Amino acid sequence: MITHNKKLLIGLSILLLMVIVSIIGVLLTPPELRRTGSFLPRLPPGEEGGLLGTDALGRSVAIQIVEAILKSLLVGLIAAALGTFLGALIGFSAGYFGKLIDAVLRVFIDVFLAVPSLLFLILIASLMRGVALPAVALIIGAFAWASPARQVRGQVLSLKERAFVQLSRLSGMSGLEIIFRELMPNMFQWLGANFVNAFIAAILAEAGLSLLGLGPQNDITLGMMIYWALGYGAILQNLWWWWMAPVFALIALFLSLYLIHLGLDEVMNPRLVVRA
Amino acid sequence: MAAYLKYLAERFALFIATIVISVTVVFIVPRLVPGDPLGAVFLSLAQMGGSMNATELVAEYTRRFGLDKSLWEQYISFLAQLLQGNLGYSIASFPSEVADLLRNSLPWTIGLLTVTTLLSWVIGSLAGAVVGWRGSGSRFLQALVPLALILYATPYYILALLLIFLFAFHWPIFPLSGNYSVTMTPALTLPFIADVLHHAFLPALSIVLVSLGWWFLSMRSLIGALKGEDYILLAEAKGLPERRILWRYAFRNALLPQATGLALSLGHVVGGALITEVIFGYPGLGWLIYNSIKGLDYPVIQGSVLLIILSVAVANFIIDIAYPLIDPRIRQAAPD
Repeated sequence: MITHNKKLLIGLSILLLMVIVSIIGVLLTPPELRRTGSFLPRLPPGEEGGLLGTDALGRSVAIQIVEAILKSLLVGLIAAALGTFLGALIGFSAGYFGKLIDAVLRVFIDVFLAVPSLLFLILIASLMRGVALPAVALIIGAFAWASPARQVRGQVLSLKERAFVQLSRLSGMSGLEIIFRELMPNMFQWLGANFVNAFIAAILAEAGLSLLGLGPQNDITLGMMIYWALGYGAILQNLWWWWMAPVFALIALFLSLYLIHLGLDEVMNPRLVVRA
Repeated sequence: MAAYLKYLAERFALFIATIVISVTVVFIVPRLVPGDPLGAVFLSLAQMGGSMNATELVAEYTRRFGLDKSLWEQYISFLAQLLQGNLGYSIASFPSEVADLLRNSLPWTIGLLTVTTLLSWVIGSLAGAVVGWRGSGSRFLQALVPLALILYATPYYILALLLIFLFAFHWPIFPLSGNYSVTMTPALTLPFIADVLHHAFLPALSIVLVSLGWWFLSMRSLIGALKGEDYILLAEAKGLPERRILWRYAFRNALLPQATGLALSLGHVVGGALITEVIFGYPGLGWLIYNSIKGLDYPVIQGSVLLIILSVAVANFIIDIAYPLIDPRIRQAAPD
């Protein structure tokens, strides 16, 4: 199924390649080379500067970038997992229990869909200065539930009326049993697609927060790399290797994730492929 | 008509709920989060060399900001202040009111974003229509699709960095930052307007290029989907010129969903490109938020966030009430 879809295949290949290279890079780096001043500052890529040059603080850009890719992905992973989980929980409750619960939850879903969550993130992060990476991820995840919740709710509403669910109700299954044995297995592919969306949004949110100066100050993510590079005037000092490395890493990352998202869409709705 | 009224009432309720819920979140969040804005401010003052009886001052400010009252009382007075449009004072630039700072930044943001949103919509839709119509026939047109995909997948501020590097640093055609030259005095004169446009060009270009991708892709797929429709086939069978079929038949029908998208993104004009402004030092709302974060100026951050939330809610509400008037199919179908 996966190998038949070109977009999914290309997207996954790029992502896997980045992850593997980053993991190998991080494993191969001796810890003492991570400190500031391990290298001469401001060396362009080449003989002395290493693969990607060094920054103004005497750190290797190559060593930073492999770590930053993994950290950015980690933020995305934690946030997307939390967001999808909360979303599934809320969407499930709304769709399955219906009535008043549904009405109230729907209002909340609509409101949090309408208001850009970056705003709330800015508010919280600006109060909690100097937050660590897991905290940033959790904050992002805590505001990433609206879109999965809407999807899951719609899916539950349509599944609930299908014959196999009504049959299991008639055969005396309890509510919980129906949720876990009948509904959940049918939700997995939807949750998967939602997870990819939430993953993209979370990495984007982390980079945005970091550029505003609200990222994990003691960690190195792709957003924080750009933030520091800009803060030290990397563009004006013509240290192009410093800021271009995270920029192109971000482009490659988003392109691969977006291709995966498109590919998953086509796998799940075969009608899309015929048209394209 | 009755259905439309019921729909209106529902949408209005959602509009109110949006504002109440998000304002409540804005109120509650700082009180849940560990962190002490007053303490942080005094710490930074002390670091700059201000010597003072900090404990007494903190107590005084706590009283003055009403932080010693119950949560409920604080909430009520918070709402009352908001209703009067009173957003409080800036901490970093103290005597200025938050509302005044917002008023100074807002025109730059709205100007930049409105123009770029409209431009990218027009260009993207036209190009998307042409490629969707006869894309398979031309290698060049086909090549635009992956390009648009890359543009769409790229975070909007990434392109800004590349443009600044190329056209403000490497080839210094455009200024690096700001909204107009410091030597200029704002006036409605030709040189001043030219200077403003010169400064706005790169930020605008970065936003247009990135948002172009989406309009292009969506118009392309809309036109592609219309191709097999009966009325298009009939027009072809009648022997109408292809140009006429594309623009008079297909394009006009694809315009409606595309216009909804435009309306939605116009609703996000106020908070749409905060980080672009940061990168270009463009003194809109994003720049204001960025500087307030640096200056620990929580009231300004909160005011900006509230303003953006309000504008998004109002825009969504306007779209909701206007859309059934434009598209009769929605008016008749009972809205869910």
